[in-house]
Amino acid sequence: MNIPQENSNDQSTPVLEFKNVSFSWPDGTGLKNVSFAVPKGQFVLISGPSGAGKSTLLRLAVRLEEIQHGEILLHGSSITTLYPPVLRTRIGFVQQTPIVLPGTVRSNLLMPFTLTSRKDCTQPKDSELLYWMDRLSLGHISLETEATNLSVGQKQRLCLIRSVLPKPDVICFDEPTSSLDRESREQVEQAAEELAGNGISILMVNHTSYHPTCPHMHITVSNGTVEVLK
Amino acid sequence: MTPEFISISWPQLMLALGFVTISGALSLYYQLRLEKDLAIGVVRTFVQLLAMGYLLKLLFGLNNALLVLAVYAGMTFFSVHIVRGRVKEKSVAYLAPTSLAVLISYSLITIIVTRVLIGAEPWWNPQFFIPIGGMVAGNSMNSLALTLERFFSELRNRRDEVEMMLCHGADYKESTESIFRDALRAGMIPAINSMMGVGLVSLPGMMTGQILAGTDPEEAVRYQIVVMLMIVGSTALASIIVLLLVRRRCFSSAMTLLLRRDNAQ
Repeated sequence: MNIPQENSNDQSTPVLEFKNVSFSWPDGTGLKNVSFAVPKGQFVLISGPSGAGKSTLLRLAVRLEEIQHGEILLHGSSITTLYPPVLRTRIGFVQQTPIVLPGTVRSNLLMPFTLTSRKDCTQPKDSELLYWMDRLSLGHISLETEATNLSVGQKQRLCLIRSVLPKPDVICFDEPTSSLDRESREQVEQAAEELAGNGISILMVNHTSYHPTCPHMHITVSNGTVEVLK
Repeated sequence: MTPEFISISWPQLMLALGFVTISGALSLYYQLRLEKDLAIGVVRTFVQLLAMGYLLKLLFGLNNALLVLAVYAGMTFFSVHIVRGRVKEKSVAYLAPTSLAVLISYSLITIIVTRVLIGAEPWWNPQFFIPIGGMVAGNSMNSLALTLERFFSELRNRRDEVEMMLCHGADYKESTESIFRDALRAGMIPAINSMMGVGLVSLPGMMTGQILAGTDPEEAVRYQIVVMLMIVGSTALASIIVLLLVRRRCFSSAMTLLLRRDNAQ
């Protein structure tokens, strides 16, 4: 499979870096002077109270919101130098609410490969789709199943697979387990941790009771400021 | 039987006001509070239509191209103004695209009908150009309002879906493909539906007017067919132009959706 190439071969360059980033919403809330760096394959847990700016942090990384000060670097280059759809092929984003389109499980999983920004990418084969389905306990579901008929937990796992298949450098998870039962939650969290082990950097906003089993960096967001705990 | 024209006198016209009393009585009895709107509506119907009648009489007499085009420009302006009143979207600058869509669709369809289909000489002959233009304007205006309303409301309601597509690397076109289709359909369906019942359930206003005014029904029907087909074409043209122009304006240069949900930050 063709995946976007890194701009730098220097392993010491962080995959993603926030440098003095500030952003404010019209009501005055937002983020102030945020700086941190994410190395390749790093699992980053982001926690903090509701409304503190955790989701905003992720949305800034994929330019769903625009920073007002500072810069965000991907492999050492500002994310603004990339055409936004291309940037989003390199930084994946899994939303809090799983969104699937009318159509089969297969068509949903392959949707990203139908887009112009991925015209050079090779579409994964069914065997790869089935491998991921099996890994996330969706092995009993046929690729021909209507995706909108799946449960919320199944849809969320489908969304995770859809983001993983194009092999981005970074995947941002915005509270992906908030609407899942315990079993589904653990499967999603475990899969995300394994992705980090495979070299994909993970940024996950999650509930405070979650403790990743893999080596990880913990960032807390409070009142618009960010603290890196470890 | 030869068709004949029977003029409506002023006292007879005043008698027609009796129909409005039914609506007025219902409004009073059920406390609908529609009396004021009803009164304003009646006054506007009289004033606007009588003014248009006198204006047309004047235009027919003067036979001046610039005056005809000025009236046409006025109709265009007012239809954009009415669309603006119906589509209350603040985040996206849609007035310039709407004006352009109105101008292109109205002018193109009206000129084709007067010049090619009817063969009027000159093409701006007010007897044909103004009524045909008015019908195109009225119907395209409704279609534009429906199209834009649907497009903006779907973008807000399906924001998560649009963002999901954007997050996978979609551009503004790819992320709004199905919303674009829904909005286009919403704008085109009324004109298409109106062809279904015509002649069976309803006799359209223009044809009825011509027959009442003494025109041979067969001639009136031919005109009506042209009018119905032209409305189907003009509503489609206006809808597609406005959507193609407005869609890009709903996104920032960073390819993010500018419309937020009403309760969003």
